[in-house]
Amino acid sequence: MAPTATVTLTNEENLKQHKDVYENACYVDTKPQAVEPFDKEWGVGLSGNTPEPSPFPRINSILKVTARTTNGFVAPDRAELVTEAYKAHPGESQEIKCAYGIANVLEKTPLYIYDDELIVGGLGCDKKGAPVHPEFGLNWVVDEMRDGLMDYSEQRTHDYFSYTADTQKRMEAIEDFWRNKCVEDYTNSLLTEEQLKGSHAGKGVFFADAYIFCGAGHLGLDYDRLLNMGFGGIRDEIDQALSKLDLSKPEDLEKRDFLRAAKIANAGAIRHIQRYAELLTAKAAETTDPKRKAELEQMAANCTHIATGTPRTFWEAIQLVHLANCIILIECNGHSISYGRFDQYMYPYYKHDIETGVSTREKMQELIENFYIKIWDLNKLRNHILIKTFGNGGIGGPALTVGGLLPDGRDGTNDLTFMCLDANAHVRVPNPWLAVRLHSDTPWELKVKTANVIRLGTGEPKIFNDDVTIPSMLSSGISLEEARDYQVVGCVEPDVSGKEYGWHDAGHMNMAKVLELAINNGRCFHCNAECPRWSKCGALGERLGPQTGDLRTMTSFDQVLESYDKQMKYWCDQMVSLLNAVDIAHQNVRPLPYLSTVMYGCIEKGVDVTKGGTKYNFTGPQGVGIGTAGDGLATIKQLVFEEKRVTGAELIQAAEDNWVGHEPLYALVNSDYVHHYGNDDDYADELTKFAMDTYCKHIEHRPNAHGGFFQPGCYSVTVNVAHGVKQWASIEGRTAFEPVSDCMGAVHTHCCSHDVKGPLAICRSVTKLDHARATNGTLLNWKFSPSALAGEVGRDNFIALMDEYVHRKGMHSQFSVTSQETLIAAQKDPDNYRDLLVRVAGYSAYFVELNKDLQDDIIGRTELSFD
Amino acid sequence: MITNGAGQPCGLVTNIQKYTIHDGPGIRTEIFFKGCPMHCLWCSNPETLSPRQQLGVYPKKCLGVEKCGYCLKACPLGAETPIRFEEGQLQPVVMTGACRDCLACADACPAKALMVWGKKMTVDELMKVIVEDRSFYARTGGGVTLNGGEVMLQWEFAELLLQACRQAHIHTCVESALYCPPEHLERVLKYTDLLITDIKHMDTDVHKALTGVGNERILDNIRLAARMGMRMVVRTPVVPDRNNSEENIRAIAAFLRDEVGGAVIQYQLLPYRKMGTEKYETLGMPYPLGEDYKPPERAEWEARLLELKRIVREEYGVPAEAGSSQKLPV
Repeated sequence: MAPTATVTLTNEENLKQHKDVYENACYVDTKPQAVEPFDKEWGVGLSGNTPEPSPFPRINSILKVTARTTNGFVAPDRAELVTEAYKAHPGESQEIKCAYGIANVLEKTPLYIYDDELIVGGLGCDKKGAPVHPEFGLNWVVDEMRDGLMDYSEQRTHDYFSYTADTQKRMEAIEDFWRNKCVEDYTNSLLTEEQLKGSHAGKGVFFADAYIFCGAGHLGLDYDRLLNMGFGGIRDEIDQALSKLDLSKPEDLEKRDFLRAAKIANAGAIRHIQRYAELLTAKAAETTDPKRKAELEQMAANCTHIATGTPRTFWEAIQLVHLANCIILIECNGHSISYGRFDQYMYPYYKHDIETGVSTREKMQELIENFYIKIWDLNKLRNHILIKTFGNGGIGGPALTVGGLLPDGRDGTNDLTFMCLDANAHVRVPNPWLAVRLHSDTPWELKVKTANVIRLGTGEPKIFNDDVTIPSMLSSGISLEEARDYQVVGCVEPDVSGKEYGWHDAGHMNMAKVLELAINNGRCFHCNAECPRWSKCGALGERLGPQTGDLRTMTSFDQVLESYDKQMKYWCDQMVSLLNAVDIAHQNVRPLPYLSTVMYGCIEKGVDVTKGGTKYNFTGPQGVGIGTAGDGLATIKQLVFEEKRVTGAELIQAAEDNWVGHEPLYALVNSDYVHHYGNDDDYADELTKFAMDTYCKHIEHRPNAHGGFFQPGCYSVTVNVAHGVKQWASIEGRTAFEPVSDCMGAVHTHCCSHDVKGPLAICRSVTKLDHARATNGTLLNWKFSPSALAGEVGRDNFIALMDEYVHRKGMHSQFSVTSQETLIAAQKDPDNYRDLLVRVAGYSAYFVELNKDLQDDIIGRTELSFD
Repeated sequence: MITNGAGQPCGLVTNIQKYTIHDGPGIRTEIFFKGCPMHCLWCSNPETLSPRQQLGVYPKKCLGVEKCGYCLKACPLGAETPIRFEEGQLQPVVMTGACRDCLACADACPAKALMVWGKKMTVDELMKVIVEDRSFYARTGGGVTLNGGEVMLQWEFAELLLQACRQAHIHTCVESALYCPPEHLERVLKYTDLLITDIKHMDTDVHKALTGVGNERILDNIRLAARMGMRMVVRTPVVPDRNNSEENIRAIAAFLRDEVGGAVIQYQLLPYRKMGTEKYETLGMPYPLGEDYKPPERAEWEARLLELKRIVREEYGVPAEAGSSQKLPV
């Protein structure tokens, strides 16, 4: 393809071109050509502790002024500009109001251009600034400012946001206007006590609050649509759709407001990019250095062209991709806006530029590295509770996917696959969240490259397994070509970029807490007058959950399983109904006209993306504490029913007493005498599978409110720490408030790790679970000591381990390669370890910025050593 | 041969280590047999020295006699029990004359403060563990390594286990110091794909001082293995001030060149590491090199190893490597 002028394409033509893109993909087989050799080594376990990691002086110089922190500041302009637009259009429909809101921001928000950089785009504020999104909720922003919970305080030691007195005053000035107009207030009006008692606002059996304050996010735009149509093409498509309306039909009348809104938002986007062009031109005029002047002029020309046209070069394409994503982030308060299969959709531009001599491989490598840092500069405002469950997520979830199968089933590895991985090793900032897709025929060179970047120890990239992800997506009714073309969104979730509004990571269910209620007849352990719910629950003789059975009186293990099943159904009912209420609130209060223009199908259907305008519509909440629940079931089965070493009453009493006075039993349940998940022991692994399957059973295929259905996931990211904080001791050997097990991992309590048989046993245990059933994704965190991966022997055996995980249909893995000593040293002496990046779960973060609980959780994960 | 209650042949195993990558090619499962006729000063696995089951004591893990005391209740000796507590804390136990080696105390201990070194395992039990990681062996050219202690002390059982591995199509390594009768070795090597052995010193008197036995039998067995066409990895643990003289390494290199030849696929110069001291404590044994024995700084010994490697390679043509992380040419 030779994109030279603005063209308007129908979706069908678009799809045709999209095929063309893949047919042009080259196969590296044995000879990938990138700036670095495929087997370049950067060391093992060094992480980010290296000055000037990039071979490009420009990148190193940008890195020097790049803050290694997720802290930022509150940027007030966006909130005021949206308010101004809402006030100027009081009689319009909600969709139109929202469109004027975003258009006004794009027209007026301040723009920034930085030294050395080759790409422009941001969130309408300086680096690390976080705009305020009052449409989603302003109360909490103002409250946190007033209560001192927004900036650094003892309750908020990381992900904090500074603000001036002026900013606070300006936010307070619009507070009244937004009361009862935002998603938060609207949602709260829909919720009942039964939905709330187990939620974030109650006992934390499940969390489903993230999208009340934020948007849903967790998507990627339709990159082929964007690149092949440009904003001009999209504008023409909207005009055509408007002209075809027959206003005598009621459904067309409804579509009219949506299309008008889309047109306003689209015009705003075009204007926004033109403003950058104007600013760049002015900046070029005042620049004396001829080299920089020429760069600025080229950047201005790029922006002028892509404001409406389709990109012609790699530089124009990467600029358009960045701006189009920034605008999504400006419009919506969601995070995990992801960058799709970057190596695939950018490949035609790369090939074109190399073949025509427009650019060089080095130049494009530099652009990718600049692009990564630009993403890291972005920030989102989050409340002090959410940051605890999502420690140092920063902007959150900008995944970028490389490698994997093409829609026609061939391997799609190309030069850019390698360059994207090199770029990560060259910049060593936590964004984007790089995902490498592997499958049984992934070229050896890509596996070596992936292993070498992982061994560096920044926690990037994660690996995803096509061989299980694609069938998993097929089971949700996604077509074969689209399933093969999946991207990874945010931390964990497989997604059809641009065609899926997946509500990924919508909520979390603590399976360990469900087990507690299931063996204690619906009552929490440690039920007492200190509980905030005491007066409406325990004091009245009530209990949190339904009465499904009591381990003290149960006579067979089957009764335990049955009780767990019933209890799980009840809590899934509550979580699903709460999530659907939030979903409805979003549709009514905050439609997303700009996003609808860059997603597949919304214009054609005439329906906003929040209401189900695009092709696939899911809601994906996760099961958390899989290992903890599995070990709990194994402990009961073995000790209470088979060996009768303890009675159910004794076991519950020990947990009620937080193990004090029950030390021998505490040591016993934590020892390898008891069957534990993670040791390739069928006894425990099968019960863990039961715990997970029961969750999936009560979630999968339940209808959601935006025209699709629910998909279960099985991972925790870091919410296992937050769930743990809300839960008293548990029978498998956890003391009160300790984290529950993370993601698909085994249990590690303060006493010890329950997995003792090494990485191969973990690999086998974890892959006995049915990953394909968790259609919203799974995750296993591995932690290796650097010595285990050193040398060619370490590398190749590590690759064998990845291969086996792929072969055994594990879906997704992430790796930490940092020694326990390094982490402990960093905890003691944070200043010397500012650049130490570690894998948290789903993403990497600067270790010294994490709170102590999460640091300890990471240190506690079993370190796998091979010798 | 040791047998279990049912009369089946058993090995006495101290540990099964999965995913080992330094003792043979690929990803391996390594089985450590208990009992050794030598006692090298730097031994880092003292629990494998004695050929019978032993109590390991970890006083730090003990819950205390007040809260637990299960071991005392389990001990059949009552007041004569060798288990001692001082101020409620467990003291290292020596299996004294009164002790009947029943190990009931360790079975009763929930905290693993008392544990048993050495477990009787049948071929079937070991094979069950071994085949679990079969797919990893296949991917990496790995397999099983029998190690110790001295596996040749349990040669009859080793032969049975190696036969079973052969039947299951699993690659086998035997790591042995080769202080054993040659006829035993011949039997075992029949089912062995790769032999890993070591030469600690070429001077038999020094060898005796360092390990308790002379080296004649060992060198003879290496010659025998070479004659049988056995492929070998030969190692020297290079221990500062004990056997790290250039003279000794040159003598070893000359022996390998002249008498073993092409059978040596790699000669590994291994750095000394002070390891296993905690295990000595749990067994109530002193560290033979002395508690204060300190190896030199890393940079120093690394340079030393690399220099020795250079001499052996360049002057003797023996494929030497420093450490065990270099790929084996298999």
